[in-house]
Amino acid sequence: MLYGGQRFTYPHIISGVNAVIEITIWVLRAFIAIFVIAAISSTIGSYSVFRGSTFLVSGIAHGALAGAALGVLISLYIVPAEPYFFSIIFALGIALAVGYASKKQESMDVAVGVLFALSMSLAILFLSMIREYSAIAWSLIMGNLLLLSSADIELMILTAVFLTLIFSLTHRKMLFSIFDPEMAKVSGVNPFKYESLLFVLMAVGIVVLLMGVGAILVYALLVIPAAAARRSFKTVEGTMAGAFAFTAISGFLGIALSLYIDVAPSALVGLIATIIYAFTFLKN
Amino acid sequence: MKSIVIERLTVKYGDYTALKNITFSVEHPSFLVVMGPNGAGKTTLLKALMGQVNYEGKIVIFGKKPIEALDRMGYMPQRERINRNIPLKVKDVVLMPLISKNVFGISKEHIAMAKNALKIVGMESFWNSQFSSLSGGQQQRILLARTLARDPDILILDEPFSATDVATKLKLIEILHSLKKKKTIILVAHDINPLVECTDKVLLLNKEIIAFGTMAETLTEENMERLYGTRIPIIRYGEVCYTVGSDSHIHI
Repeated sequence: MLYGGQRFTYPHIISGVNAVIEITIWVLRAFIAIFVIAAISSTIGSYSVFRGSTFLVSGIAHGALAGAALGVLISLYIVPAEPYFFSIIFALGIALAVGYASKKQESMDVAVGVLFALSMSLAILFLSMIREYSAIAWSLIMGNLLLLSSADIELMILTAVFLTLIFSLTHRKMLFSIFDPEMAKVSGVNPFKYESLLFVLMAVGIVVLLMGVGAILVYALLVIPAAAARRSFKTVEGTMAGAFAFTAISGFLGIALSLYIDVAPSALVGLIATIIYAFTFLKN
Repeated sequence: MKSIVIERLTVKYGDYTALKNITFSVEHPSFLVVMGPNGAGKTTLLKALMGQVNYEGKIVIFGKKPIEALDRMGYMPQRERINRNIPLKVKDVVLMPLISKNVFGISKEHIAMAKNALKIVGMESFWNSQFSSLSGGQQQRILLARTLARDPDILILDEPFSATDVATKLKLIEILHSLKKKKTIILVAHDINPLVECTDKVLLLNKEIIAFGTMAETLTEENMERLYGTRIPIIRYGEVCYTVGSDSHIHI
């Protein structure tokens, strides 16, 4: 999916005067993907907002982009390879490197900034070595919710289930580690371990989102709904539920609108998420 | 009975020596105030007591190594180091150390312990309040309740009065005063004056021990000058000593 690259025609059929949209399998998959992305956003997005690590989301997303670009390069010219695998490796590398730098008292902003620049440099380098450069670059950066395959959806669902399970089991310890690392450590909860786990889970979730919405809008869908929910709800659980709802609303509306307007759905999804955030900002 | 025995404690961060050859012991129950300038190793000493830093020498807490005695210690870090961006309720904060090891459910016993701790600090009516919406002083009392929730024998408090108003400070001292008959309290403070009623021993620390003993023994103008590098007048009323600073809140 990632290196499809072609300019697609939206898979909808408008029938006659009533302009009734037939929900094709592609649209159905897109809706399922949005549901899955909302589940991932509710946990990873909320935790990154709580921890104040939203820039890290962007850093990991661009690391995943560089990995995917390398994967595409290798699969096109060397050996068949799955870009998803390379994305995961790069995203994990960025996440763990930032965690290590943070432990060594380096500012997280600086660490993410340096790795962000490295990731973008590598992504541009790998993409520029590909002849079908622009189409593939566009696909990786913008993603395409309406071109997801069954295998993509299965992988996204499995990943979301995995993430939800791990977050459910570690929720209290992770929250404690973020809230008060010193007290957590004294209480027998290793904050470095749980912070590293959080970063790894962020990396996994971000790669999955990259498949659907591309590198740039990963940030939009992980951070904006959670930030809007943080402004609107007064509990951790409320914030997570709100992040889920705002992501789902942005996604469903974005896809629905893209069936009428010839615009990439991820752009509409990002715009709607931003409008929701602006509304919560002005309301509060 | 000794709750804490420290012998020849040295803590180094790479080439930097944070604490050097520290030896003292603390009775149980009692109230120890640790004073010293910024960078004197006060927080490092607290971390060493809880086995959170590598050290040379010997630390014994109720006959055990620090890391084995963590269940008997309650720690209250500086409020500034806490992430207040998480929408937690007061009950979440106080229950946190009690239930952090439980994956599922909160027991009635945990809730009773948390409510009792809030009662001790006079904040039981704030059970369902938003932690981040409370005043700094109220947050400080909630954090003290969290420290008390497990009913530890040793309370380790790192600058609990920082950025608190006079009323909060007095309330916290009143609470600590009521606890000193049952617990060993080790408190890092810059201003000892509000604590004169509670303090049993004072440790003047600047990487090494400048003085250790009762207020009358330790709070001398000579020791203050050795500690802070400047002359600080001391007013004495029998065994009680007050430090006199240049500003109205007597901060040294």
